[in-house]
Amino acid sequence: MSSREKILARLHNNRPDPDQYPLPSIPPLGERTATRQKFEENLKALGGQVLEQQTWETLEQAIKRYFPHEKVICSAVPEFCGTIRVDELTSPQQADKVDVLVVRSPFGIAETGSIFLSEEELHSLNSVAHLTQHIVVLLSENDLVANMHVAYEQRAEFHHARYGVLMSGPSATADIQGVLIRGAQGVRTLSIWWE
Amino acid sequence: MKTTMKIGLFVPCYIDAFFPKTGIATLELLEKCGQHVEYPMTQTCCGQPMANAGCNADAAVAEDLFIRNFARYDAIVVPSGSCANHVRHHFDAIPQTDEVEHVRRNTYELVEFLHDILKVQEFPWAEFPHKVGLHNSCSTLRSLRTASMSELGESFFSKPMALLSHVKGISFVTPKRPDECCGFGGTFCITEEAVSVRMGLDKIQDHYTAGAEYIVSADSSCLMHQQGCAERAGVPIRFIHIAEILNGSRA
Amino acid sequence: MKVTPVNHAKAAEEFIKDTSHERFHDKRLWDLRQKRDEQMHALPEWQELRSLASQIKEHTLTHLPDYLEQFEANATKNGIHVHWAVDAAEHNRIVGEILKKHGVRSLIKSKSMVTEECEMAPYLAQHGVCVIETDLGERIQQLDKQMPSHIVVPAVHKLASDVAKLFAKHYNTDPDDDDPHSLAWAQRLAARPVILSADAGMTGVNFAVAETGSFVVCTNEGNADLSATVPKLHIATLGIERLVPRMADLGVFIRLLSRSALGSPITQYTTHFRAPQKGSEMHVVLVDNGRSHRLGMKDFWTSLKCIRCGACMNTCPVYRRSGGLSYGAVYSGPIGAIIDPTFNERKYSTLPFASTMNGSCTHVCPVKINIHEQLYQWRRVLAEHHELPFVKREMMRMAGKLLGQPKLYRAALRGAETALSVVPRVLLYNAMNPWGKNRELPPPVSQTFYAWYQENRIKKG
Repeated sequence: MSSREKILARLHNNRPDPDQYPLPSIPPLGERTATRQKFEENLKALGGQVLEQQTWETLEQAIKRYFPHEKVICSAVPEFCGTIRVDELTSPQQADKVDVLVVRSPFGIAETGSIFLSEEELHSLNSVAHLTQHIVVLLSENDLVANMHVAYEQRAEFHHARYGVLMSGPSATADIQGVLIRGAQGVRTLSIWWE
Repeated sequence: MKTTMKIGLFVPCYIDAFFPKTGIATLELLEKCGQHVEYPMTQTCCGQPMANAGCNADAAVAEDLFIRNFARYDAIVVPSGSCANHVRHHFDAIPQTDEVEHVRRNTYELVEFLHDILKVQEFPWAEFPHKVGLHNSCSTLRSLRTASMSELGESFFSKPMALLSHVKGISFVTPKRPDECCGFGGTFCITEEAVSVRMGLDKIQDHYTAGAEYIVSADSSCLMHQQGCAERAGVPIRFIHIAEILNGSRA
Repeated sequence: MKVTPVNHAKAAEEFIKDTSHERFHDKRLWDLRQKRDEQMHALPEWQELRSLASQIKEHTLTHLPDYLEQFEANATKNGIHVHWAVDAAEHNRIVGEILKKHGVRSLIKSKSMVTEECEMAPYLAQHGVCVIETDLGERIQQLDKQMPSHIVVPAVHKLASDVAKLFAKHYNTDPDDDDPHSLAWAQRLAARPVILSADAGMTGVNFAVAETGSFVVCTNEGNADLSATVPKLHIATLGIERLVPRMADLGVFIRLLSRSALGSPITQYTTHFRAPQKGSEMHVVLVDNGRSHRLGMKDFWTSLKCIRCGACMNTCPVYRRSGGLSYGAVYSGPIGAIIDPTFNERKYSTLPFASTMNGSCTHVCPVKINIHEQLYQWRRVLAEHHELPFVKREMMRMAGKLLGQPKLYRAALRGAETALSVVPRVLLYNAMNPWGKNRELPPPVSQTFYAWYQENRIKKG
């Protein structure tokens, strides 16, 4: 008998009566309206920031203003060049040289201030989202969903993406004496650029 | 609403031996509330110490005796949350006859009996001009549910506080961790002495810092442990069972 | 081989002696409990979420064979290699073989309790693979050669000054610089090159979704995503109880997990792995290691609902004072005390007694495991299986007998009264009497309630 068969057989024999434990359906729960204000509130609570657009300012100018000392600006969006395009990085490790990654997220979740990224937005170079020092995420207010339930019910990405990450603010740790540190092993800052 | 019932008074072993005043107060209080109360003289223990230690079979003789002593009463009242909890929720070392089920169903901790069954609204004889910190034992809080617990985020309620609020002159302090266990835990207080004492000290310190002159509780075992810790550590705080305050003790 | 039960009480006493560590530990975890409460208050549907989570888990566990097969079929279709391990040894062998096939010498790893449970790292070390933990807390514990002391914050029992000394030894940093920011930065700098040169990455799994064959990893540091996306090989390992049926179920669990664990609405990273990334290979190892047996334990099977949030540890007044290492097991705290005995009844026979049965754990548990009731039930099982110390067992036997005989009981009590008033204080307060070590006895009384009642009620009629 293979290990697989052994485990399945044991589970069959040992489990309590399955008929007594039906699967509940999940009713609509939580805040059901998505607002930009809620998203920003929760984003900031988790350490994320919004790049505030000054009058007539372009994304490029805003990035220069917010990240004046960063050299390698990597773009994963067509309308912005940066100093390097994500497609020019040929191995996951090469992404380590990136200072700022600019990428578009298909949707955000207001409840948690999270943004979603998959291999589609990252041009199959998933490592760049985590090796880059900073990440700037382009997001449209129209693509906000209210909460986690709505996200999992409605967004097809969860069923189709090979790799899909919800990022909620920058990487963080409180493993040393409970002190919260933003910028642990992944991105040190996460910024939203509204479009 | 007051009805007269035939009440069996159960006085747990440590109250009998160390805190007889609590037993007397319970008896007198129930009588003041118009009840007919009897104390069966051959009672010993509900079996909790053995059962909590895992030795459930060893609780059988005590449980059997308990039934013989108390089956004839409409209600059994005990000034101890942990004993009431044992009888109601665990008492299964002996066959579950109708008699046993009757006893288990009708055993009450004193506060819930006064609050839920007798629905006492006033204690005109009671006056306690002191600042008190209320200690809800874990049995009353999380098993008998005589007060809201912070874990669930439910609306505030407190049966002991509701009763005490009818006492003239009393005021309450608010400790930082009102629901924290004091570390008594039955045999735990002996087998895990260091943790038990640390928890006890933290408990009394919390109440003392909040300004309490007295710690009041429906469980003498918690009080015995806390009092022991306070005396040794030199924390000037006093301890009193809720029955004594409600019965009119002034200090 | 003779197995000695874990001496929780002694280890706890040692931990408590070190006041600065114990005080910080209690405060830090209580702080997490309070943050959890704030999150609970912010969600009116909190109790409904708990009920749903519990029901979904109970359904999944009782239908586990079906969901495991569904998960396997879908994952395989997605290009994931699925393996089954009956026990820890098989798990380690499977991982070892995958690594060998790929010529892996260095493995970066994010937090996984199953790999701790299987003692995988020492096994792989024997086979020439260097395993590096990338989670900061886990890395601290790895450098210090200790088990994780908490399932979510593994180094929570340490102060920054401890970490400073440890890092000085291994990372050549300043032993006197105990600023957590510089220490975390030192870890980032030390980890990067290791991550970039690693041959393979390994992660744990928080939830595996049967309907899509995907799995979810929740972290805060970003180290799991680095471990999974930088090397060409990703191995994920999970206990078979991690399954949920539907993608929509994640809404319930993700909303509860980090709120219960750390009091934050979500972990910084919630990552969904459905298929290997381009040019990479992905393996999933499904581990039983006693779980199928536990599913058959009438009183204990619901412990398999656990989603490893650690809320029961944060709220546990005993755990906060005794420290996680005092449990001598990979899983510590209340949840540990009810699952550890399923791994080794004798070794962990003391843990269900390292509790006051206060029940706080049960009521913070996001999947409603009746932890304190299971602790109570374990005590019975252990007594029946003769896993109680002889002295305790005998004491209870004698107490049980005495309490069944009112006359004998009264006679003995009279003896005790006399004893209390005449025996010199020194005898009552010596080291053999744990009550009196740090506590006074109640003041002596002139008569018992029994005697008072006899005098005042029976005689006076």
